[in-house]
Amino acid sequence: MGIYLDHAATTFPDPKVLQAVSRCCQQGLGNASAQHRAGVQAAMVVEHARQVIAGSIHADSQELYFFSGGTEVNNAVMKGIAGARRKYGRHIIVSAIEHPSILEPARWLEKQGFRVSYVPVDRQGRVDPDDIRRSMTKKTILVSVMQANNEIGTVQPVKAIGQLCRQQGVYFHTDASQSFTKIPIDVRRDYLDLVTLSSHKVHGPKGVGALYMRQGIQIDPLMHGGSHEHGIRAGTYNTEGIAGFGKAVEISDRRDIVRMRRLRDYFIRQVEMHVPGARLNGSRQARVCNNVNFSFEGLTGKGLFSVLNKKNIFVATGSACASNELKVSHVLQALGIGQERANGAVRMTLSKWTTKKEIDAVVKAIRSSVNKIRVQA
Amino acid sequence: MKKIEESIDLSGVPCPMNAARALLKLAQMQDNSFLEIILDDGEPIVNVPGALEDEGYRIMVKERRGKQWMLQIQK
Repeated sequence: MGIYLDHAATTFPDPKVLQAVSRCCQQGLGNASAQHRAGVQAAMVVEHARQVIAGSIHADSQELYFFSGGTEVNNAVMKGIAGARRKYGRHIIVSAIEHPSILEPARWLEKQGFRVSYVPVDRQGRVDPDDIRRSMTKKTILVSVMQANNEIGTVQPVKAIGQLCRQQGVYFHTDASQSFTKIPIDVRRDYLDLVTLSSHKVHGPKGVGALYMRQGIQIDPLMHGGSHEHGIRAGTYNTEGIAGFGKAVEISDRRDIVRMRRLRDYFIRQVEMHVPGARLNGSRQARVCNNVNFSFEGLTGKGLFSVLNKKNIFVATGSACASNELKVSHVLQALGIGQERANGAVRMTLSKWTTKKEIDAVVKAIRSSVNKIRVQA
Repeated sequence: MKKIEESIDLSGVPCPMNAARALLKLAQMQDNSFLEIILDDGEPIVNVPGALEDEGYRIMVKERRGKQWMLQIQK
């Protein structure tokens, strides 16, 4: 298979997750909305997963809603809050480095007459809560800042932003797709009103996500249909996927965070030691435990990507979603690091299964590939 | 007087999620212990008692409380 270092794009399901999904498929479960015993059995699977996932972020299970993935949750939050609160104001604040599933709904909302402020970040990718404060007006209805960035891994001061928003009576949403199970989340302690969670980033199945929404908050539904999830997300429950998501969260282990952090730091040290002209993008301290993002002087990320790809080492340039596009990532642009450095960025993201042996092999491959590309140039 | 070991307020929880939550709670409890649940009137009070009895639990008390219902269930 090679060495897979693109876990920010997706992870492989844990064997225990596969077992949970498989068991569900073989159990003869009905539609989790049906009233017969086969339906109630399916509902029990859904509710068990809901309790596990809600418990992991210190939420009540009634505050957790299942969706088809992080993108759908982010769209539901942006459009749903805008719809439900437009009578209170039409101003939304997001950071400049949000995922496209926040930025594109923001742009769509602008076309619908909303005003959106795009708060900048510093060279490490950090949002300054004071910039949020300065952007707020009496018409602000929502602030959305991701907990950890998908490209450079920078962790945002969500608690400070959450506290500020709570004081101002503005809803605060954080997209925790990249940080869930990697950074402890406590929705009460961190003043979080809405949180996006994704299954396939945490060794769960694809096609499942969840929204934490603090009790009392209302959003307009993205889709209209049945009354599933209190009318917030219509559509038949993906019972098997939800079971797998619940299992993935249940077996997540904080010791993996410590191990990944150590390996990440080792990886960064080795690259800086052995590859001349390597520059780390993002923050050295405020960084999610599995993210490494380097630019290499004198070459493009795409060039290195191609050479590594031939060696069966799988990394990413820019963000995974944008890797088919030639334009420079909006995240790297927002750092103000210059076009050349932004073009040279390569993202490598670890999982709980990544080994030191793999990292050593990758560092060696990067070193030889970088030298080869530079000689050819 | 029965000792209620656990209680769940299932107000606003739609069917069959209300039954599912009660069953998950009962599964964690010891044999012969009692669970008290609060249910909404309408569909929940029609569906949930049957769903619990189908799984072998006994409804010991069923009492109207305003627009809601209180059930005591023995495992």
